[in-house]
Amino acid sequence: MIRRLFKHPALANPLAMVGFIIIASIMLLALLAPLIAPYDPNAIDVKAILLEPSAAHWMGTDGLGRDVFSRMLYGARISLLVGIVAVGIATGIGIVLGALSGYYRGWMDVVIMRLVDVMLSIPTFFLILAVIAFLTPSIWNIMIVIGLTSWMGVTRLVRAEFLSLREREFVMASQTLGAKDGRLIFLHLLPNSLTPVIVSSVLGVASAVLVESGLSFLGLGVQAPQASWGNILTDGKEYIQFAWWLSLFPGLAILITVLGYNLLGEGLRDALDPRTAGNQAR
Amino acid sequence: MIKYLLKRLFWMVPLLVGISLVSFLIMHLAPGDITTTEAGFNPKASEESRQKLREIYNLDKPITVQYGLWLKRMATLDFGTSFASHQRPVFWEKTDQQGNVSKGLIQEALPITLLINVLSLTVIIAVALPLGIVSALTQNRPPDRAITLFVFIGFAIPGFWLALVLMYWTGVVNSWLPISGLHSLQYDQMHWLGKIADTLKHLALPVFISSLSGLAGIALFVRNGMLDVLHQDYITTARAKGLPENSVVYRHALRNALLPLITIFGLSIPGLIGGSVIAESIFAIPGMGKLFYDAVLMRDFPVIMGILTIGSALTLLGNLLADLAYAWADPRVRRGVLK
Amino acid sequence: MRSHSTPSVCALLALSLLLNACGQPETSPKTDLDRPYPSEAGGTQIDAMPAEPSGLIAMIAGESAASAVASNLFNSLLKYDKNLELVGELAQSWQISDDQKTITFTLKPDMKWSDGKPLTSADVLFTWKVVTDENTRTPYGADYKLVKQAETPDALTFRVSYEQPYAPALDTWAGLQILPKHLLEGQDINTTAFARKPVGSHYYQLQEWRNGERISLTRNPNATQGQANIERLVSRFIPDAASQFLELLADNIDLMNLNPIQYARIVPARPELQQKLGLYKELGNSYTYMGFNLKHKPFDDIRVRQAINYAIDKQEIIDGVLLGLGEPVASPYKPGTRWSNPALKPYPYDVARALSLLKEAGYQDHDGDGILDRDGKPLSFEILTNQNKQREMAAVLIQRRLKEIGIDASIRVLEWASFVGRYIKTGDFDVVVLGWSLSLDPDQYGIWHSSQQQPGQFNFIGYNNPRVDELLERGRFELDPDKRQTIYHEFASLLLQDSPIVYLFAGYGLPAIHKRIKGIDNPAPPAGIGHNAYEWYIPRPLRRNEIAVE
Repeated sequence: MIRRLFKHPALANPLAMVGFIIIASIMLLALLAPLIAPYDPNAIDVKAILLEPSAAHWMGTDGLGRDVFSRMLYGARISLLVGIVAVGIATGIGIVLGALSGYYRGWMDVVIMRLVDVMLSIPTFFLILAVIAFLTPSIWNIMIVIGLTSWMGVTRLVRAEFLSLREREFVMASQTLGAKDGRLIFLHLLPNSLTPVIVSSVLGVASAVLVESGLSFLGLGVQAPQASWGNILTDGKEYIQFAWWLSLFPGLAILITVLGYNLLGEGLRDALDPRTAGNQAR
Repeated sequence: MIKYLLKRLFWMVPLLVGISLVSFLIMHLAPGDITTTEAGFNPKASEESRQKLREIYNLDKPITVQYGLWLKRMATLDFGTSFASHQRPVFWEKTDQQGNVSKGLIQEALPITLLINVLSLTVIIAVALPLGIVSALTQNRPPDRAITLFVFIGFAIPGFWLALVLMYWTGVVNSWLPISGLHSLQYDQMHWLGKIADTLKHLALPVFISSLSGLAGIALFVRNGMLDVLHQDYITTARAKGLPENSVVYRHALRNALLPLITIFGLSIPGLIGGSVIAESIFAIPGMGKLFYDAVLMRDFPVIMGILTIGSALTLLGNLLADLAYAWADPRVRRGVLK
Repeated sequence: MRSHSTPSVCALLALSLLLNACGQPETSPKTDLDRPYPSEAGGTQIDAMPAEPSGLIAMIAGESAASAVASNLFNSLLKYDKNLELVGELAQSWQISDDQKTITFTLKPDMKWSDGKPLTSADVLFTWKVVTDENTRTPYGADYKLVKQAETPDALTFRVSYEQPYAPALDTWAGLQILPKHLLEGQDINTTAFARKPVGSHYYQLQEWRNGERISLTRNPNATQGQANIERLVSRFIPDAASQFLELLADNIDLMNLNPIQYARIVPARPELQQKLGLYKELGNSYTYMGFNLKHKPFDDIRVRQAINYAIDKQEIIDGVLLGLGEPVASPYKPGTRWSNPALKPYPYDVARALSLLKEAGYQDHDGDGILDRDGKPLSFEILTNQNKQREMAAVLIQRRLKEIGIDASIRVLEWASFVGRYIKTGDFDVVVLGWSLSLDPDQYGIWHSSQQQPGQFNFIGYNNPRVDELLERGRFELDPDKRQTIYHEFASLLLQDSPIVYLFAGYGLPAIHKRIKGIDNPAPPAGIGHNAYEWYIPRPLRRNEIAVE
């Protein structure tokens, strides 16, 4: 699957390629943060409060004299982790429910699809807000809650793929040969329905990163002193016109990352979706 | 058509039950007893509100009975009064014995949020439609790439950051627009035209910010829909017949590409309502988002439950309207070929 | 005031352009803000508050937004003057009986409510009945329930008798806003519509309350304390602090409390801001501290508490968190007041002392992992605080200093409602960073007396010292200020010795006020910058262009 993905003309799509490069480099920076960061991200220096960017502090310092560049690098880890784990949870739930729904159909399908409808009709951000506030915000709660409130799209996608795949000859054939449900689901149906799931997961990470920054703005995101892009940005909002570096860099980082995921996701969709892939060759 | 409508209405019932179940679960999320988490230090007030909570939600009764009663409250749209000391009704106004009218919290906040949403949707359509069409017609050429990049940037900018930058630019550096709030101080002395202008000026930035994130989705949707349609047989046929390209694009392709948009709009309502929290706090607009956020911080459960339920019901209503519009617009559905 | 175009023309212009606002408050740059102007009445002052009051009866609403507005509408019997001495407000004078159990207030004659009805001792008695009524949902009832008997011998006399002498009594009468009996009698005070359309007796009366947007007050022609200068006070509800600051920069609000960075770094560095904003400084009656849960090990050990106190560099916190705009504290009273014991000094930053105390308590790094331990258990705990930038930052600085001597502290920042509900009330915490706002009376029975440890009461750290209990009890019955001073000085020194909390700092309030507002006392007297707000005035040339209110 993965191999197919890389051989695919997907990466011939320049926007997707740009997205891929952006994501890869940011992930690399996040992974290598301890090696690259010039300072301890939590090291306070009361004599170096709110310094402009300079050779010593590439992105300046914050209200406690901490090095913004180092905090950005460590913040990248948190922000990406929140995005990826949340989407992982959502995708996991979505695949299981979608598979059940699409494979067994009948009452199972009805129940699961109604549940999807219910979840889709409740304003998601309200739901996230209420649940996180009641459970007290922590990085784990945030990941879990975002995950638990964003699986509906994946469920629908997987279900739709299953419904159409079920009717295909190779599935029918295995079924008549007496293949077990589990075998059918995992060996035949699932691998063949992952393409749209991958696309939607990549796009999902982008939204999760944005949701985290929104929660930070409201004081319900990843809590200080742990750095996330969202809370660095929120820290800087009161000085947006004066200590511009405090909000510009995290703002740009979020923008570029979300942009990267979106370009990659849409590029993949264009390339992998048989209908639009056809267009590509026009 | 009537049969279709009845069927749709019938299907809303299990959804409403589901919504009530989810909001009931949330209410019981707070560990232990929900009555232990109310704000404030004051022992007397907390015992009081605790008692009140127990009464309102019948916490001493078995969980099934509690749920039944909650369903009943929902069905009668009686969400009680806020826990805040003003004790205003959550949903709709009530009049006391002296004839003083106490406006409902949702009653006041909802029109403001709806106004912002309607304006945002208008902006989204007005901007996303042309962008999507141009993008589709220039597929993979520079204009398409530029538009894609542009709408993605719009989606990717953290809204509150852009909002603050724009507030500074349009409100402090240049006094073009008011910074926050809904009305000027002189609002009441204004001519009605002035009142409209004043409100629009106050809403310009909030609407811009809240339409940005929706823009990308719709523009891409229009683009992909157009591409899909443009490659279908009947369009090829139309082209082959030698119809002018404009007519092919606008008469045939666009109409069919736009149909699914109706459904998308229905689905985007919860996002717009929920997304209002941040914009409303920054711009100090007393809409549903701010009401909800304040209620969450104050653990004002009646208001939280009321907004979740009303918000969801509105979404269902929006979806229903969208489906009806779709049915009306799509001749196949209208004639009952499709269910 | 009609210098500008008529509203409708303005509207058309605005519609067609949607650009430059007509009547936008734009003080021309030529207007000299700094030259002296004679005092005159009129004008509008606009401020911002982060939250909307839930009602304007302060004892019911309880939140600070409500008190801020209500204090312009209602009077109390007494008030504190600029030097924080008690003087009469509605009361002309008061006498304390020889046994110190009875206070007799004589009201000023011929006072009226803003609706023109007379204000008499019956209103005072009525208010006392309301605040002590079992059905009144107020957190402030306890003080007034100590009154055994209240009576009104005549329309200008109000007399209260206590079971025992109660020293904070006069202070409590400066805190109770008197409500009009003729409008509230027979109503349920908790739900009355009066809370949203109040009638008071102070400088201002309610003009308009736009839900979710703003409250406007206008001068009360029947004000009992004379006439204020400024005609109209508008409070806008702006929840986000960043938006508030932008409104201040754009001249749309006249005053706002700045944070230290805005105050010390941003405004001084911008000539255009310095030109139009006056910066003031006032020491508030509150302090920030780090408190130990004395019921949890190892904080029951005084040596551990003192060691941690020595290990924290308070000056560093004041410099880092407040940019120097704060004072160190060594007693739970406002520095510089008579209750604050000048002999007490904060624990100095002394790592050697800290380590030797910890060693005495059995803490050493036995396993060489860099963390002190005793009986195989490392010295580590969690510092809880709520979402308050200054407390968060203080916690971060404390964490680092503690780490240097081998104490492993983690920080958890919580949103207020869950912080109080889940941790404070249940006593489920090790260490908290919090603040206390205090009344002007030195009585702190509720915070430190060992009997005040029930869930929801204020001695949640579990402080228990029999001698302190005794002093607190005595202090409540002692009316002689000098004797009280001795009592509270001893109390504060025991408290410092016991180190149940580490005093961190008392921060300055940092109001920035637009220079169009004149008549402000600078430097601020002990009572703070707002003590003479009724004398503030806005000279006509400096006013915003307002459409006349007809």
